[in-house]
Amino acid sequence: MIHFNDVTKVYNGNVKAIENMNFNVEDGELVIMLGPSGCGKTTLLRMVNQLESITDGDIMLNGKSVKQSNKIEMRRNIGYVIQSNGLFPNMNIEDNAMIVPNLLGWDRKKMRDRFNTLMELVGLNPDQYRKRFPHELSGGQQQRVGVARALAADPPVMLMDEPFGALDPIIRTHLQEEFLQIQKELKKTILFVSHDIDEAVKMADKIALLKGGQMMQFAEPAKMLNKPANSFVAEFVGQDRVLKSMSLYTVKDLATALTLKPVSESLEAQNINENLSLRVAISKLLNQEADQLIVENNNGTNKGSITLDLIEQFLHREIKESV
Amino acid sequence: MGITKKVEVYLGPLQEKFRRCPPISDLIDYFTSNFTFVLGYTWDHIKLVGSAIIIAIVIGVPLGIYCSVNKYAASTILQIASIMMTIPSLALFGIMIPILSLINEGIGTLPAIIALVLYSQLPIIRNTYTAISNVDPDIRDAANGIGLTTFQRLYKVELPNAIPLIMAGVRTATVLNIGVGAIATLIGAGGLGGIIYQGILRNNTTMILAGALSVAVLALIADLFLRLIENLFTPKGVKK
Amino acid sequence: MERTNKIIALIIKLVFWGLLVAFFVWAFTNDMFSTIVEQPDTFFRLLGEHVTIVLLSGAAAVLLAVPLGIFVTRPKFRKSEWLIIGIANLGQTVPSLAVLALAMGFLGIGISAAIVALFVYSLLPIIQNTIAGIDSVDDDMIDAAKGMGLTNSQILWKIELPNALTSIIAGVRTALVINIGTAALAYLVGAGGLGVWIFTGIRLFDNAFLMSGAVPVTLLAILIDYLFKWLQFALVPKGLRLARKAQNS
Repeated sequence: MIHFNDVTKVYNGNVKAIENMNFNVEDGELVIMLGPSGCGKTTLLRMVNQLESITDGDIMLNGKSVKQSNKIEMRRNIGYVIQSNGLFPNMNIEDNAMIVPNLLGWDRKKMRDRFNTLMELVGLNPDQYRKRFPHELSGGQQQRVGVARALAADPPVMLMDEPFGALDPIIRTHLQEEFLQIQKELKKTILFVSHDIDEAVKMADKIALLKGGQMMQFAEPAKMLNKPANSFVAEFVGQDRVLKSMSLYTVKDLATALTLKPVSESLEAQNINENLSLRVAISKLLNQEADQLIVENNNGTNKGSITLDLIEQFLHREIKESV
Repeated sequence: MGITKKVEVYLGPLQEKFRRCPPISDLIDYFTSNFTFVLGYTWDHIKLVGSAIIIAIVIGVPLGIYCSVNKYAASTILQIASIMMTIPSLALFGIMIPILSLINEGIGTLPAIIALVLYSQLPIIRNTYTAISNVDPDIRDAANGIGLTTFQRLYKVELPNAIPLIMAGVRTATVLNIGVGAIATLIGAGGLGGIIYQGILRNNTTMILAGALSVAVLALIADLFLRLIENLFTPKGVKK
Repeated sequence: MERTNKIIALIIKLVFWGLLVAFFVWAFTNDMFSTIVEQPDTFFRLLGEHVTIVLLSGAAAVLLAVPLGIFVTRPKFRKSEWLIIGIANLGQTVPSLAVLALAMGFLGIGISAAIVALFVYSLLPIIQNTIAGIDSVDDDMIDAAKGMGLTNSQILWKIELPNALTSIIAGVRTALVINIGTAALAYLVGAGGLGVWIFTGIRLFDNAFLMSGAVPVTLLAILIDYLFKWLQFALVPKGLRLARKAQNS
C-alpha cells in the first residue's frame, strides 16, 4: 500500500534528515515508526501526505507516486491524526468530525449517519456530543473525536503522529486498546509515529526503528525484541526486552508450539485462560501464587499445565527461530 | 469625456499638491534654523508627559496591587479605567475646562496633566494587576511556606517578578501620552503640538511635518529608553 | 474578607456613578447643554458630519486593512509581514493631529481631508489586529487542516478567519474609538463635526459650547465601544468563547 523507495530528505541543501529510506507498509498493516526525537520519523510521516516535500526518491501510495498526485485530493483520502488533536475550536464536534465528508459534498443524511456510526465506534454518544465544542471535552474525548474525524470519509490509509502522546497513562492505555479493537474491525493501512517502545510493541504489526534519518531495523515486534539488529536497537528496546516480548505471545501460542505438561498433584496450582499473554503467566508464577498454571480454554476445559521451565524452553525456541 | 481626461481632471490638483510637498531639504533647513525653538517645545513636551507619567505610576501601581488582592474591586476599577481610556482627548479637555474653571485652572497645564494621568491608568493598573496575579502560585506558596509576611512577599517576591510587565504598561502609557500631549497644545499646555498647530494656521506643511516628526521621534526614543530601564530593573533570574 | 472586598468594590462603583450624576446635575443646573437646546438643527448637522467622517473612513479602512492583513499572512508573502507590522507600529507614533494637518496639506480644506486622514490612521490598528489574530491561530490546527486536504482558501475561510474574528473586531473597535476622537479635531481642517463647538468653546471660554460639543462626542465614543464589545461577543463562534474561557480559567 505505502512503498518508500529510496526516500531522501535534505534541508537547506546539506542537512540530511532522511537517507535512502526503503520499506513497505502492506494493506491492513499497522506500522509504527519509532525512534528518539530528531530521528526523522515525523518528517517521514509528513512526506507521505506531502506536508513535507521529498528531496529524492519517491513514496508510492497504492501504486501512485505521491509526488505526482494532486495533493488536496490525495490528502482527503488519507486519515490524519496528530498529537494535539488539532480540532477546530470554532466548529462543534459534528462539524469537526464531518469536515472531510463536507468538503467531499456528502449529503446531510449520509453525514449524520456516518457521524453516528463513528462516534459509536470511538465510544462517545453521538447525540450527547454532536453540538458540543472541543473545549468542553476532556483530552481523551478530544482525541477520540480526532480519530473519528480521521476515519470520517473511510480512507484506506491513516497517518497518525503520536496520537496518544499527550494523554495521561491510564487514558492512553485505554485508547490504545480501543483503537486496536477498531483496527481489528476496519483493517486500515496505518503508518503511526511513536517514541514509546511499549506502545509500539503493543500495537504494531511491524516496527520501523529510526535513528538520524536511517533505518536501524524494520521487523515484527517480537523479532525486534528477541533479535535486535544492532546495539542501538538493543539499547532502545530496553534491557527487559525479553520480558516485553512475552506480552506478544499467548499461552495458546506456547501450547501449540510445545506439549503441555500433565498437571502435577504435588505442586500448587492456579488456573489461567489460554488467551492471556505469557507475561501474565510469568508474573503469576513469579508471584509464588502457584508453581504451575493449569491452562484452560474459554469453555473451562483443562488442557494441561505450564511451569517456568516450559516458558524458558519456549523462549529459547522462539529466539532461535527468529534468527 | 475620455478616461484619461477624467483622470487628469481629478489627479491634476493632487499632483500639484504633491509637487508642493516640501522636499526633505526644507525639513532639514527648518530644523537647523529653528533648533532652539524645537528643543524648547520638546522640553515642554517631556516635562508635561514626564510629570503626568510619574503621577500616574504613583496612583496606578498601588491601585493595581490592590486589585490583585480584591478581585471585585479589580473588575470595577478596570472598567472605570477603560471608560476613561475611551473618552476622546479633545472632549476630555472640553469637559475638564468648565470643571477646572471653578478653581481658575480651566486652560493650561493642569487639565492636560489630569487628562494624561487618566489615560495612563488603564495600561498601568491592568499590567500591574496581571503581573502580580500571574506570579506562579508555586512561588507564592513557597514564599508563604518560608514564613514571609504578606508585605515581605509582595516586596521581595511578587514585585520583582512583576516589574517587566509593569514597565511595559508604563511604556504603553508613555507612548500614548506623547501623542495625546500633542493635542494638549490646543488648550494652551504647550509642547510639540504647538509646532503642528502653527503649521496648520500658517498653512505651512514643512512645520506640520517637522512637528509630526518630532513627536514620533520623541515617542520612539521614549519607548527605547523605557525598554532600557525595564531591562535594568528586571532581576537577572526573571529575564528570559 | 470576601464580604469586605465586595463592599469596597461597591463603594468604588457608587462613588464613580455618584460623581457622574453630580457632574450631569451640575452641568444641567448651570445650563451647560443650552447650545444643544437652542440650536438643535446645528447640533444634528454637526453630529451628522462627525458620524459621516467616522463611518466612511472606518468602512474604507476595514475594506482595505483586513484584506491587506490576510494578504501578508499568506505563506508566500509572510516575508513582508514584519515590514507591515513595523509600519503600523511606527505610524501610530505619529500624532493624529499631524495626520489631519498633512492630509489638509494635500487635499486642501474640507471633509475629504478629514476622511482620508482618519482612513489612513485607522488602517494601522485594523491591520495590526488582523495579522495578530491570524498569527495566533494554532499551527497544529493549520497542520491538521492541511493534512485532511483543505485547500488554502478553505483553511482561510473555515479556520483562520473565524478564529481571528475576535481580534479583527477588536482592531475595528480601537480604530473607530480613536476616529471619533480624531474627528473632533476635524474642525481644524475645516471638516466640521462636533469639534466645531468644542473649539468655539475653548476660544470664547464658553462652557455651554464646550459641554454641548464634548459630552456628545464622549457618549458617542463610549456607545461605539460598547456596541463593538457586544459585536465581539455576538459574532464570535460559540466554540471560541468557550476556548477563551478555558484558557483564562
